[in-house]
Amino acid sequence: MKKIIYILIASLFLNSCGSTGTGVLKSTAYSGIYQEKPLSLLIMPPINRSTDVQAKEFFHTTLNVPIINAGYYVIPPFLSMEILKKESAYDSEMFVDQPLEIFQKVFGADMALFTIINKWDKSSVGSKVMVEVEYVIKSTHTNEVLYSRTGSVIYNTAVRNQNSGLLMNMLLSAVNTAATKYVDVARACNNYTFSDLPAGKYNLQYGLDGETPAGRKKFTVKLPN
Amino acid sequence: MKKLLCLTIVAFVINSCSSPKSLYSWEKYGQASYNYLKKADEKSIEQIIEQYRKIIYKQKGTRGMAPPGIHADYGFILIQQGKLKEGKESLMRETVLYPESKIFIDRILTLIEQ
Repeated sequence: MKKIIYILIASLFLNSCGSTGTGVLKSTAYSGIYQEKPLSLLIMPPINRSTDVQAKEFFHTTLNVPIINAGYYVIPPFLSMEILKKESAYDSEMFVDQPLEIFQKVFGADMALFTIINKWDKSSVGSKVMVEVEYVIKSTHTNEVLYSRTGSVIYNTAVRNQNSGLLMNMLLSAVNTAATKYVDVARACNNYTFSDLPAGKYNLQYGLDGETPAGRKKFTVKLPN
Repeated sequence: MKKLLCLTIVAFVINSCSSPKSLYSWEKYGQASYNYLKKADEKSIEQIIEQYRKIIYKQKGTRGMAPPGIHADYGFILIQQGKLKEGKESLMRETVLYPESKIFIDRILTLIEQ
């Protein structure tokens, strides 16, 4: 009997979200974050290498929420876009391999997030979207990569409202414009990826989650799961 | 003993992804900000302003305050709408809640003055 309880308790601790079980701890995988203790992050306009011209916007407007929810300060997206345009720095490609101190100076940002959308393909039949996206967070102080993950995501837009009733589904699909659907796809990719981001200063877990597992650096996932 | 077992099972079920309360509540921010970025027409501006207000005044997150950036982007859109005083106040509010924002808020204020 005691054994069963121990097993249950152990599984209770293991039963967290989003961890894809690499065995690598966050304190190892993202050691730079634990050392530098960065607070604020600047979202660089996503680099779109996919064939879908809209993919960039779908991502750009859904990146800040999961990072803020993890406990960081994210430079407000619309204000930062304005400043980046004014400073002729709106093209992220220019900065991928360049020193990033400028963003520390202009925005007070400790980190810059680069997002590279390699693939955004809608299946011609059915309701699947295949996405491949690379996320890289670099320190503006050292230019080191603090966090990077690449995800291949297959998103099935048809199962989106599986928990609501038939009537609700009909209502939702009536207002479910293509754009709404694809914003959801980008949001799901971002939320899934950043679910293993070490907690930031505004999160109660700040500095305490180093011993929890990091997600896989390269992952393939079907969403919603 | 059975009780303990039951409790553990209950805790196991509760401890799934759905329940932890977030630091902030976001209303329909995602959709509104996409529409605003894409269209920036009157309707999408109205929509995002409404969402900013809800996030600020009806905040339900555990931190009990607006998330980073909301006061700043809200203030910026107000300024673009010609509501200079109200907009600047919102920008200042961001620097009070989040002092790390002061560097770029000062920059924006300078740009506005020009």
